Amino acid sequence: MADFIKHPVVELPERDPEPSVPADRLFFSEEEKARIATYVSRYPTADGAIMRALWLAQEKFGWLPPEVIRLTADTVGIPYSQAYGVATFYSQYYKRKMGTHVLDVCTCFSCQVCGGYDMLHHLEKKLGIRKGETTPDGRFTIQEVECLGACGSAPMMQVTNGPYVMNLTEEKLDTLVDALQEGRMPPFASVTLPQDQDEMGGNRRSDAPSQEIYQAPPVSQTIR
Amino acid sequence: MSVSNGSVSKAGDWRSYQRVLLPPVKDLHKLEVYEQHGGYASLRKALTDPAWTPQAVTEEVKKSGLKGRGGAGFPTGLKWTFMPPVNPDVPRFLCCNGDESEPGTFKDRQLMEYNPHLVFEGMILASYAMSVKTSYLYVRGEYADWISHMERELEKLYAKGYVGKNIMGTGFSTDLVIHKGAGAYICGEESSLMESLEGKRAYPRSKPPFPAQRGIWGYPTTINNVETLACVPLILEKGGDWYAKIGAEKHPGPVLYGISGHVNRPGVYEYPTGMLISDLIYEVCGGIRGGKKLKALVPGGSSTPVLRADMIDGVTMDADGLRAAGSMMGTAGMLVLDEDTDMVSFLRRITHFYHHESCGQCTPCREGTGWLENIVTRIDEGEGNLRDLDLLLDLCSQMEGRTVCALADAAAWPVRYTVERFRSEFEARCRPSLVSVPETAALPA
Ligand SMILES: Cc1cc2nc3c(=O)[nH]c(=O)nc-3n(C[C@H](O)[C@H](O)[C@H](O)COP(=O)(O)O)c2cc1C
Ligand code: SF4
Ligand code: FES
Repeated sequence: MADFIKHPVVELPERDPEPSVPADRLFFSEEEKARIATYVSRYPTADGAIMRALWLAQEKFGWLPPEVIRLTADTVGIPYSQAYGVATFYSQYYKRKMGTHVLDVCTCFSCQVCGGYDMLHHLEKKLGIRKGETTPDGRFTIQEVECLGACGSAPMMQVTNGPYVMNLTEEKLDTLVDALQEGRMPPFASVTLPQDQDEMGGNRRSDAPSQEIYQAPPVSQTIR
Repeated sequence: MSVSNGSVSKAGDWRSYQRVLLPPVKDLHKLEVYEQHGGYASLRKALTDPAWTPQAVTEEVKKSGLKGRGGAGFPTGLKWTFMPPVNPDVPRFLCCNGDESEPGTFKDRQLMEYNPHLVFEGMILASYAMSVKTSYLYVRGEYADWISHMERELEKLYAKGYVGKNIMGTGFSTDLVIHKGAGAYICGEESSLMESLEGKRAYPRSKPPFPAQRGIWGYPTTINNVETLACVPLILEKGGDWYAKIGAEKHPGPVLYGISGHVNRPGVYEYPTGMLISDLIYEVCGGIRGGKKLKALVPGGSSTPVLRADMIDGVTMDADGLRAAGSMMGTAGMLVLDEDTDMVSFLRRITHFYHHESCGQCTPCREGTGWLENIVTRIDEGEGNLRDLDLLLDLCSQMEGRTVCALADAAAWPVRYTVERFRSEFEARCRPSLVSVPETAALPA
């Protein structure tokens, strides 16, 4: 078969690998436990809180190795198997160690036809890795992701499950990578609605640190 | 292609339309500002005026003709009446669907950013109408920034006593919880959303039983889209009759059109339903980028059938208008493609999306989405045969209506209609086949 034919293979992480978080660091602080207890109190049964608790665990430990999933399940009070199932179902939970900064470039639908792949390939060239890989110094991981819900500002990307960076250009990517190298995260950007532009002369939010306007998207050079 | 000037828009005098979902008010996302501009007055009215019983609220929503904005366009008031009679021992739930993962859709995010209190107020009103004690706002995990902004506003709302115990001293209590997802398109499907809320892998459930009978944790549940619920406070404030008069008669109301792709001014626009597609592209969005010609248009998110440029003449953006044109309203997330777009590669990316997002429960969907991707990829790489096109259509017929949820249909439609409507472009990419295979008739669903 030609090598572009993809097999629907789901790769599950090993269930009992050598723990990667040392035992003396594998715990939640009292404050974190209290937060998890608040999450649990919001649902009729503890199960509902597992997603939020896994988020908290991922922010603390960087990713979700089995021992962290087990710790989270025990803290929430649900079976490990269920928590493991949840952690491996959703794409934003990291099942392997990622770079310090994860660059999620959208290449779906609107972004595809507005240069999403140009941006992805520019990043790949710049960092010398392919999508799905992490730079040898462990700083950056590049991922190709599905629509992030900002199609009007295509091409766009998200940094480590956090801020969106929209209306991308190659220069903007270069600046972004430089800023991240220095540990500066991009600020939250509020997109000005075209009708606000016309009727209110600009963005309606006075508290957003950075503002973008919708603009004519670029022409995509590559679309795969 | 001609730009239709003679055709009638159902949106009336849209140039002087005054926005109501996103009115031009600075910092409207803050509770103080929202209240200054009449926010939470509908809630106060419903809770204090004895004429506004829960039934009366539901009736008003029915009268407005509001149809769901999440994709399926189901009448909202009617959906609310499916909830069983109140039994104090049986909890009931409301879910507001803010998963918004349909490619091409980005309006709920803008609504949650700029007018979150309208959504909250709509949720509390809907909770009142259905006697719900806990409502969940399910927001996709990628919207982390917007979730933290909304949680800040929600805290203010609790502090003010507008949600929680004994709201505004009226004795009515309901809680509102924001649930953060973690990246899965399928969570937008209502039964999958419920599984996800229950802290499980988000596998859709077979229906029936419907959510109103057995929803989250087995209790009666109603699920509505963010934009749908945001219309409720407006309906109570200005009346169902007012709402019913906006836009297209059978599909009324204001709509957030999320327009992306090759237009000069993409973005989220609020206009009445029933706008002419040509008005939206050429007037509202300033035409196609670089003066190019229109080639195709996807009217309501990636799963709605694509329309060729020659098919949009006089077509309006409402359920009837788009059905007549051979497509659907979906989420009103419209993608505009110019003449240079390669439809084969475009379709290849869509099939990749559905293959990636299939939850894998049903064989026709899990395997079918994979083969759709493989075959379209093969054609895109120049290694396809002519008979692959009929194979694709046959595969679509094997997927449609044969699965637990509608994702399989949503994956099959773009393939079916893109291949049918751009067949010559696909044929040009294929090698001629030596054996001809007759076109397979679609099997009954
Ligand atoms: C595969 C699939 C994905 C869906 N995704 C969404 C979504 O992201 N947001 C949404 O509001 N509805 C989505 N829906 C529709 C919901 O199932 C449901 O019909 C809707 O939330 C009901 O709200 P409404 O009546 O207000 O439209 C999806 C449906 C399917 C089959
Ligand atoms: S149709 Fe697809 S997404 Fe829906 S339940 Fe079946 S396998 Fe899952
Ligand atoms: S397609 Fe990239 S954000 Fe929607």
